[in-house]
Amino acid sequence: MSNDTNALSVHAAGVEISGLRKSYGDNEVLKGIDLSVKPGEVVCLIGPSGSGKSTLLRCVNLLEKPNGGTILVGGFNATDPEVNLDQMRQKVGMVFQQFNLFPHLTVLENCTVAPIKVLKRKKVDAQKVAKGHLDRVGLGDFGERYPDQLSGGQQQRVAIARALSMEPTLMLFDEPTSALDPETVGEVLAIMKSLAQAGMTMLVVTHEMAFAKEVADRVIFMDGGVVVEEGKAAEVIGNPQQPRTQDFLRRVLDPTHVDI
Amino acid sequence: MAMTTRQRARTSKTVQIVLFFVIIIALIAIVDWKKASYAFFSFDKLGPMFPDMILVGLKNTVFYTIISFAFGLVLGLLLALMKMASFAPYRWFATAFIEFFRGIPAILVLLAFGFGLPQAFGTQWPQPVNVMIALGLVSAAYIAETLRAGLQAVPKGQTEAARSLGMPAWRAMVTIVIPQAFKIVLPPMTNEIILLTKDTSLAFILGAAVAQYEMTKFGRDGISQLDAGITPLVVAGLFYLVITIPLSLVARKFESRAAKTKR
Repeated sequence: MSNDTNALSVHAAGVEISGLRKSYGDNEVLKGIDLSVKPGEVVCLIGPSGSGKSTLLRCVNLLEKPNGGTILVGGFNATDPEVNLDQMRQKVGMVFQQFNLFPHLTVLENCTVAPIKVLKRKKVDAQKVAKGHLDRVGLGDFGERYPDQLSGGQQQRVAIARALSMEPTLMLFDEPTSALDPETVGEVLAIMKSLAQAGMTMLVVTHEMAFAKEVADRVIFMDGGVVVEEGKAAEVIGNPQQPRTQDFLRRVLDPTHVDI
Repeated sequence: MAMTTRQRARTSKTVQIVLFFVIIIALIAIVDWKKASYAFFSFDKLGPMFPDMILVGLKNTVFYTIISFAFGLVLGLLLALMKMASFAPYRWFATAFIEFFRGIPAILVLLAFGFGLPQAFGTQWPQPVNVMIALGLVSAAYIAETLRAGLQAVPKGQTEAARSLGMPAWRAMVTIVIPQAFKIVLPPMTNEIILLTKDTSLAFILGAAVAQYEMTKFGRDGISQLDAGITPLVVAGLFYLVITIPLSLVARKFESRAAKTKR
């Protein structure tokens, strides 16, 4: 992997979320979330499954349509019905739990299809940028392969390179290591860490507490569709104040722990 | 006495072989081969059928198939998209269309268009046009369902990934979803073209000018005009295979290539 973390020129954007609500039918998943991410900041969202953290992340680039509240991303008001979502999404990279690489395109094409079709870049220019990002994730020699010829960890690294190839100002990660074999989790986390060090604004839904503790500037603990606790990573994870946070962390950090 | 599995398998195989030869021998003994070969294999008397069978019949069969399929494909794609639309009346219309044209015999549609259109609207165009419209409508109903299934078989995450890269919905559809759906629908679409090729034979019931005859019409006329039993129909049948078997082979080649790369 490239050690040159300065190779990434980042125009970081922040996120302002206030009063965000989202329901599926009668089931209210987000019950008025306030959250801000400053430009260049790395924020990890943790919490039990069903707590609404993935939904919250997906609301940021409007993959889920909120029922109320406002979301400001960079210069865009994502919740304004008049906003050009396609333009906004060009600036917001997203990495999915299931990678979602395009299986009919090569690794390089995966990274160039959007820059060429959306940003109207010349093919050679797009390839140059994409190759740079593939180098960054340690897959510079894999451009001609197809996704199904790669391991899960490699696929997720391509997915990161694909998102970076659009030169986003904000990156969203939706449980990026949850679908990986344990031995490939590290390579993906290492790349995310290098991205964080390069100054990228990152909002990360994760169950990797060690990563959150080490890399995140702030950690937000969610449960039942509300923010229960937030603060500096070391404080929330090392010394949680709320009983629900304490309970959650006890289970996560010691999976054999059972309350009887 | 109980038999082992292997003994039972051996016995069953022996029975199959004996049965096969008994049937062959019975056929040879019972069938009047002189009559049968006159009815089915009087190839020497078919001279007058050619070269029109190929230059006109084969050409028209292929032509009617291609035009009907092109029409069916465009309309079918439209119906498939309508069926997936969020605007409910589009979905109702598409569902009604599909259920109607899938549910009634193609020959009824053909008759309705062949005799109904001129009567109702005073259309003057040649009957093969009605044939192509009718077959296009019928195949559109089948194609729509195939395409919808194919498009929906592409995982939702593909669209989400495309949209989150800033692609508008139509671009995600064209560049990401449709190419993947194409590989999924290739086998059923081959089926559809083969069915359509054979359905063009229904055209003969509407009547047409000689230059518009397709292969079945030539076969049908051959029976009454030549002293060759139903051999003209056998020949027509063989020519359908000349079209459909290569189609299957090409599709299978595509398929195995797709399977080999797992893409």
